[in-house]
Amino acid sequence: MKVVVIGGGWSGCAAALEAKKCGADVLLIERTDMLLGLGNVGGIMRNNGRYTAAQEMIELGGGDLFELADKCARHKNVEFPGHKHATLYDVIKMEPTVRRYLLEKNINILFEARVVDVELERNSIKGIYLYDGTFIEGDVFIETTGSTGPMGNCLRYGKGCSMCILRCPSYGPRISISKRAGVEDILGMRGDDSYGAMSGSCKLNKESLSDEIRESLERDGVYIIEIPKEDVNLEKLNMKVCQQYALKEFAENIVLLDTGHAKLMTSYYPLEKLRKIPGFENVRFEDPYSGGKANSIRYLSMAPRDNSMKVTGVDNLFVGGEKSGLFVGHTEAFPTTLRQ
Amino acid sequence: MFKYIDCIDAGSPYCPCELASKGECIICSQLHGKEFCDCLNWKGTCIYQEFLWNGCKSKKIREFKKFKIEKREYFREDILKLDIKVNKELSRDLNNIGAFVFLKNEKDAEFFSTPISILNSDIETDIITVVIKREGIKSKALFECEDEILVKGPYFNGIQGQKYLNELKNNSCLILSRGIASAPAVLAAKKLKINKNEVYVFLDRGRSRQNFSKPYFLSLGCIVEDVSFLNTDGELKYEYKKQIEQLIKKWNFKTVLSAGSDDFHEKVINFIYGIDKYINFATVNNSTMCCGEGICGSCIIKGRNNVKIRACKQQYNPKEVFLRGI
Repeated sequence: MKVVVIGGGWSGCAAALEAKKCGADVLLIERTDMLLGLGNVGGIMRNNGRYTAAQEMIELGGGDLFELADKCARHKNVEFPGHKHATLYDVIKMEPTVRRYLLEKNINILFEARVVDVELERNSIKGIYLYDGTFIEGDVFIETTGSTGPMGNCLRYGKGCSMCILRCPSYGPRISISKRAGVEDILGMRGDDSYGAMSGSCKLNKESLSDEIRESLERDGVYIIEIPKEDVNLEKLNMKVCQQYALKEFAENIVLLDTGHAKLMTSYYPLEKLRKIPGFENVRFEDPYSGGKANSIRYLSMAPRDNSMKVTGVDNLFVGGEKSGLFVGHTEAFPTTLRQ
Repeated sequence: MFKYIDCIDAGSPYCPCELASKGECIICSQLHGKEFCDCLNWKGTCIYQEFLWNGCKSKKIREFKKFKIEKREYFREDILKLDIKVNKELSRDLNNIGAFVFLKNEKDAEFFSTPISILNSDIETDIITVVIKREGIKSKALFECEDEILVKGPYFNGIQGQKYLNELKNNSCLILSRGIASAPAVLAAKKLKINKNEVYVFLDRGRSRQNFSKPYFLSLGCIVEDVSFLNTDGELKYEYKKQIEQLIKKWNFKTVLSAGSDDFHEKVINFIYGIDKYINFATVNNSTMCCGEGICGSCIIKGRNNVKIRACKQQYNPKEVFLRGI
């Protein structure tokens, strides 16, 4: 059986691995030149209930990626507001580690290959088309294209393109495969009736922080400093994807986590204001490049599905990760594809 | 079949255009009455972003400019070649596959403007060469231009299926050409030769002793064969069908450029598809055009499933339009 996984983020990688374990011939298609998608700027595992989830997944035999993330950990048992015993993986080591692992498992990966359309035969997908017209047939298709962006959505529902890790201008926009197969997307809605939610963190260049902050981060994995009263913006919490990080503490404090970069637990932060904080005088953003202004918009494309993760109305299309529901993290992404 | 949709102006200095400002963009769903992204062909820039950053307006539309006619030459009493001295920017822009301009005599009203393909654009001397056949009112008016002419451009959609020509490198291409439509095929051949392709041209001489474009093809290093494609019933002659079939087997062409009328395209594409269904086609764009901006509607043709195509801007796969029974 040939399984085609569309989208090489965390859940796509998990899906490809599980399909391979089941004996399928697996092709993983990724739009950019790197796996893990937003996982390249993630870093937080095993915080709160996710610890149990990770252990359960390992016991169930689907723990490959958790174990790799543990191996790439910079810090274990980290505590920050509202969160306990987190593991912080090194975002710089993670992608090449996962890439090598998938290749060792003989999973075929197509990079820089954007899927743009499907060929339907009654209610089944016969094959998919790449951007250049190449037709790829398969028996089962798993869509893990996420729900973030592209540019026009970030513009309409956010504050414009922030030049994030998804790099839409370079590799082209995400396409909703389920929609191309005739199934309307489900969208996430914010309290103010607008659509989507904003990615909840940015990454600062660690070298641009003061020696004291850098040393503290590398020692403890976390650094917290109060935000000047006049710059506290509680409103920003409402548009955040990750509501578990939308606590008051995250609006009143700068919370930095050491994931290789200094992960700043807020959607965006005007550079001028950030530089007013002691130790941040020379700070600059690592991701998104325009983190002083905006961040990516997510939750704009989810497919209706049943509990076996099969898309309603298409016989051989499954979904995983954020495409399959309002899941907020890597830990949640892995099991969505194990279930299949 | 792969849905090949492209707007020749997408991502160019002429994008977003008036279609975008009226919610009729060919590529961008957000500028086509939808609320979410469903970009039909990514060209490296977000048209919606360009539109918003341009103050929710279209970019400036192309305008007529007056240029000097350097040389007039009759190939036949009804076929006129003009060499026009344009500016650097225009000559550079027009040195591309499918380039064309709108021409007009200064004394005539706007609706006399006529789309004319570029046969050659010399980027050293900034001279563009066009060939005009006297057919109707508008072309007759152009024959009256003596020293100066109004030129509006650049436009790029003079050849459909450009993707299949642009992707040819160190390969081979067959051009089947008839009549005045061979002019854009010359510029296409120039680009194909730059990309180190062998170009084989079957050139219909029509009523003349030879097609006016023959010396141009020869000077580019193409292999040219004089033919007379059609029999008295207007069908492709058996001898040429046989010859084309042999050539396809010998050269293994990936793309065939049909440079004739739409009727000619249909004959050529259906015949060659019968030999090898994997060959791609490019076709000279014969659509009637008045504005070139997708607005007037005179260029609209129907593609697969009766979908409207604004042929002055939109690129389509010629198979979708000319192949019978798909």
